[in-house]
Amino acid sequence: MISQIRAELLKIRSTRTTLGLLLGLIGLVLLFSLLTGLLSSAALLSVKENQLTLVGDGTIAGVFSALAGIMLVTSEYRFGTIRPTFLFNPNRDRVFGSKIVAGAIAGFLFGVVGEGLVLLVGTIILSARSIPFALSGGDLALLLVGTLIGSALWGVIGVGLGAIIPNQVGAVIILLAWGFVAENIIFGLLPSVGRYMPVHAQNAMIGLASAHLLGAGPGAAVLVAWTVVLGAAGLFLLRRRDVS
Amino acid sequence: MDPVVQSESLTKRYGSLLAVDNLSFTLAPGTITGFLGPNGAGKTTTLRMLLGLAKPTSGNAVIFGRHYSELDNPPMRVGAVLEATDFHPGRSARDHLLTLSRAVGISDSRVDEVLELVELKDASKRRVKGYSLGMRQRLGLAAALLGDPDLLILDEPANGLDPEGVRWLRDFMRSFAARGRTVLVSSHVLAEVAQTVDQVLIIGHGRLIAKSSLAELTARVGGSVRVRSPKLSELAQALHKEGIETTATNDHALLAQGITSERVGDIAFASGIPLHELASEGSSLEEVFLELTSEPEK
Ligand SMILES: Nc1ncnc2c1ncn2[C@@H]1O[C@H](COP(=O)(O)OP(=O)(O)O)[C@@H](O)[C@H]1O
Ligand SMILES: [Mg+2]
Repeated sequence: MISQIRAELLKIRSTRTTLGLLLGLIGLVLLFSLLTGLLSSAALLSVKENQLTLVGDGTIAGVFSALAGIMLVTSEYRFGTIRPTFLFNPNRDRVFGSKIVAGAIAGFLFGVVGEGLVLLVGTIILSARSIPFALSGGDLALLLVGTLIGSALWGVIGVGLGAIIPNQVGAVIILLAWGFVAENIIFGLLPSVGRYMPVHAQNAMIGLASAHLLGAGPGAAVLVAWTVVLGAAGLFLLRRRDVS
Repeated sequence: MDPVVQSESLTKRYGSLLAVDNLSFTLAPGTITGFLGPNGAGKTTTLRMLLGLAKPTSGNAVIFGRHYSELDNPPMRVGAVLEATDFHPGRSARDHLLTLSRAVGISDSRVDEVLELVELKDASKRRVKGYSLGMRQRLGLAAALLGDPDLLILDEPANGLDPEGVRWLRDFMRSFAARGRTVLVSSHVLAEVAQTVDQVLIIGHGRLIAKSSLAELTARVGGSVRVRSPKLSELAQALHKEGIETTATNDHALLAQGITSERVGDIAFASGIPLHELASEGSSLEEVFLELTSEPEK
């Protein structure tokens, strides 16, 4: 299992896809945090909740983690490497498990990059505009744990989603359409249901206190549940499906 | 000796289509077997089931006495290439092999060894994107060879190769089998493998049509050989002695049935009979193959 995990990590490192995702993450995080940090009024940014929203942009890492997880499975189908992969290790549970671990590690690291960058930019902007930092150590700890663990979970969700939908384009579209469109519609229409959806659970997990969101603990539990369900469904299908 | 591969009533159904139909065969160690049949005959499906990539609808296939997935370290026993293009285009050849070797604890130095073996050492750090088909084919073989296996399974390896590539492949398979190892190589063109294989398994519509040695198959060649000679009646006698039927033609030639032109030439030479013409007519080996595989459905 350890060897297979090493192999999966090498798969992530050895193409430019990961670098592309990383650059995309950095670009998007910079864009969001600069927009929020520079365009909001000083009065608004002095409020603790809004500062949390600013530094909460690190959760954007989750999208890229999920994409990395999707790539880890769907690239194998797209380019046919799934055949040699399973020929070398016909134990599909172990291959899938290794991808889960590799996806979690990649996701965690994406989280570190995204949250690190947003904290850096955020504190620079706040101090440059002479706005006092209103977040407590506890707030920051929750933010960090929520973003990093959440981002790791998104990496796993991506692996699960990729195994459920091995078509790369299909899986990516489903992810983006779900995360950026469907879930917001559901939350807008039925917040009591939408709060249990994964992106909103992630937002709850970092301590965002907007209306209708779950608490941080329940939010974490819900995101973990989504991860387990999608991972289990992915494994179930991966085991059954013939490789053509 | 125990068979290397044993397929028992192997069957795969896709909806209403029987892709592989009750297929049984065994492969003895040290043989090169051509797995032949026209496109859609079920060759790839059979190989996928042998290798644990697809589940049989019924029946059973074992390699070295076990299901592929139950072998102790499959790549150390079996090397297989199903598609010539199973690479991430953005990954280098060496990294591709490392993603496989590291998964099963094969050393990095073995990776460099096989790269050398398939003559890709110099290109190994380049991304596969820029590789020619021949180079990709060799990279596929390199992956199959990583574990120094005892059985090599190749699905249509000659597809798309130029003549030089085909020659390289042929030499490669021969040298692999020369050390007592076993090869199963599929093709929809008999000629691609005829010079390499010891025996052929011919399938059509998922069913086994023939299993024979190449010599037996050659003997089934139903065509005739046209010969002209100044000593025509002596030649006819010499052929009759070998049990070969002949008919005379209007233009003072002989047609010898069920024999190759090589054989006729050899018999004539042995009897000291000069030949003025020697030509195969009617079906060639390829035609016999086509005839065998184009049997009416069901
Ligand atoms: N995954 C699949 N789903 C449905 N039909 C398939 C699948 N794979 C192969 N077939 C069908 O099974 C038959 C045998 O295919 P295949 O094994 O690829 O033949 P060959 O390799 O001899 O050309 C063909 O009719 C093909 O269309
Ligand atoms: Mg085929």
